[in-house]
Amino acid sequence: MKNVIHFHEHKERVIMQKILFFLLLILVSVVGPVFAQGNLAGSVKNIKGDVSVKREGSVHPLQKGMKIYTEDLVMTGKTGAVGIILQDNTIFSLGPETQLTIKEFVFIPDQSKFSLLAKMIKGTFVYISGVIGKLAPESIQLETPAGTIAIRGTKFAAKIAGN
Amino acid sequence: MKRILSALPFFILLLLLSACSSRQNVIVLLPDSDGTVGAIEFSNEKGTVVVDEEGEAITVGSSKSAPKEAPVMSREEIKQTFREALEVEPLLPKSFLLYFKTGKVILTPESEQLVPEILSEIKKRQSDNISVIGHSDRYGSKTYNFRLSTRRAEKIRDFLVSKGVDAALIDVSSHGEGNPLIPTKDGVREQKNRRVEVVVR
Repeated sequence: MKNVIHFHEHKERVIMQKILFFLLLILVSVVGPVFAQGNLAGSVKNIKGDVSVKREGSVHPLQKGMKIYTEDLVMTGKTGAVGIILQDNTIFSLGPETQLTIKEFVFIPDQSKFSLLAKMIKGTFVYISGVIGKLAPESIQLETPAGTIAIRGTKFAAKIAGN
Repeated sequence: MKRILSALPFFILLLLLSACSSRQNVIVLLPDSDGTVGAIEFSNEKGTVVVDEEGEAITVGSSKSAPKEAPVMSREEIKQTFREALEVEPLLPKSFLLYFKTGKVILTPESEQLVPEILSEIKKRQSDNISVIGHSDRYGSKTYNFRLSTRRAEKIRDFLVSKGVDAALIDVSSHGEGNPLIPTKDGVREQKNRRVEVVVR
């Protein structure tokens, strides 16, 4: 009889542990993305005037040499402009009152893994393809509020009105 | 007063036009630094437009309207419209290729002569972002090639650091067989692909 009670207690404890584990899992999956910093995408090469980045909910001024991560919202003010180089040599140059987010950046040539997903939210842009554009142009997606730009190894400029 | 009134429709039209154009999205194709021109494609649920000549442009009002091919933009017009962005455009990264003696981690004499050039480029640009990337050919196993090209890249990193480059500015990686200069079939020896690339940004 004693053994049976023990057995039941043990079983209940296991169930409780499982419930706790799942609660924790749900908590992590809900809260996690809010605090997660993106992976390294590139860095600021040239900068002029008022340029800032919104990262993990707070806004900081950007300076030359600072790193840009995926999910960062890069914003230029009325007199701002910024030139960014990504790790695969893709270049984004932003004019005033412009907003850009690199949503996804994967550059692992050794495993043939590539992805560049950028949101050109509004403003003026000059874009130059990098190594991803050479090795896997189909894995580049540049989104604007009016539609999507696909490129074949090249340079373009865009003026985006925003939403 | 009458004259002003008669001009009113014209002003309203002008206002409408300027309002329209400010909501307009414009994408214009530019030549690469070597003069070649690629192609861009713009698409949304209303349609797709492709342009492949220098200065050719695509305009689109919103995601609810079809993109259209627009008249070619002159270089002057492009300079005006994108002046601020063009002014901060970073210099194209400069790549140097270093070659090694077969199977070894020792530079060939020709490659050794390139090192001062790399150092002066880093200085000239005040570069704060340098990549040292190992590459291999497709002869031998993927793992062996990845390891050898990583070891070579690390050697070059150490070498640059010994010449006074800040280690924190250098990122070392290997593309193994994945980013050849000259694409080949698997198992093929290709001297030109066995290299370390130093990218100065």
